[in-house]
Amino acid sequence: MKEKTLTIVNQIEQLEEMAKTLEALSDEWNIPMDIMLSLNLVLEELVTNIIFYGYKDKDEHKIIIRFSFDDKIIQIQIEDDAIEFNPLLASEPDIDESIENRKIGGLGIHFVRKLTNSIAYERTNNKNILTLTKNIA
Amino acid sequence: MELKEFKKGNFLVINLIGRVDTSNYTELEKKIIEFIDGGEKEIVVNFSDLVYMSSSGLRVLLMALKKITAIGGKFHLCSLKENIMEIFEIAGFTSIFSIFNTIDEAAK
Repeated sequence: MKEKTLTIVNQIEQLEEMAKTLEALSDEWNIPMDIMLSLNLVLEELVTNIIFYGYKDKDEHKIIIRFSFDDKIIQIQIEDDAIEFNPLLASEPDIDESIENRKIGGLGIHFVRKLTNSIAYERTNNKNILTLTKNIA
Repeated sequence: MELKEFKKGNFLVINLIGRVDTSNYTELEKKIIEFIDGGEKEIVVNFSDLVYMSSSGLRVLLMALKKITAIGGKFHLCSLKENIMEIFEIAGFTSIFSIFNTIDEAAK
């Protein structure tokens, strides 16, 4: 089992650090770049939600992202101390609306659901722990 | 992200280069609004050098499509890579955007 942990803080500029880590893991673990770009998108949507909507104060908070890979399944776990948020309970956007009526939000969690194979959420010790898996064909 | 634009007939072609994400989408938003407010009614966004776009970028494109559609203009996209096309499909954007394989087809 290969493992890697990335700790970032709640600043949007940290997305670049995340992208670099995924790019490096693509090389080190020999995972196709297309899959890593999908996972980059999934992580960006989740981490952006945490940074923008998760904190009531203006303090610095850590967001811990743990990656593991067993040659078939990549698992990603995100741990944060933001307010309780279970993405599994978020409502689905209407993706069949006309141009005029199409809403500009709500797509992020939809991408997370569609681009992963499993999602599990738990709230423990005032932390959100979200565990995602992606099968590598 | 880098952005380069040029005229092709009546169309303004915007080459999007690199990555559009939550840390830089406002630059794209600002530029596109400038073009539309400056009178451009026919725009092609060329994705051939774009490797990554998240929902922030999609929101900008949807805003631009709505703005241009409202004034009777054209907002075309071309040369999307497979992984970005997948995102468009998941978002249900393939049914509302006009997507072409090449700049030539998009700027007709």
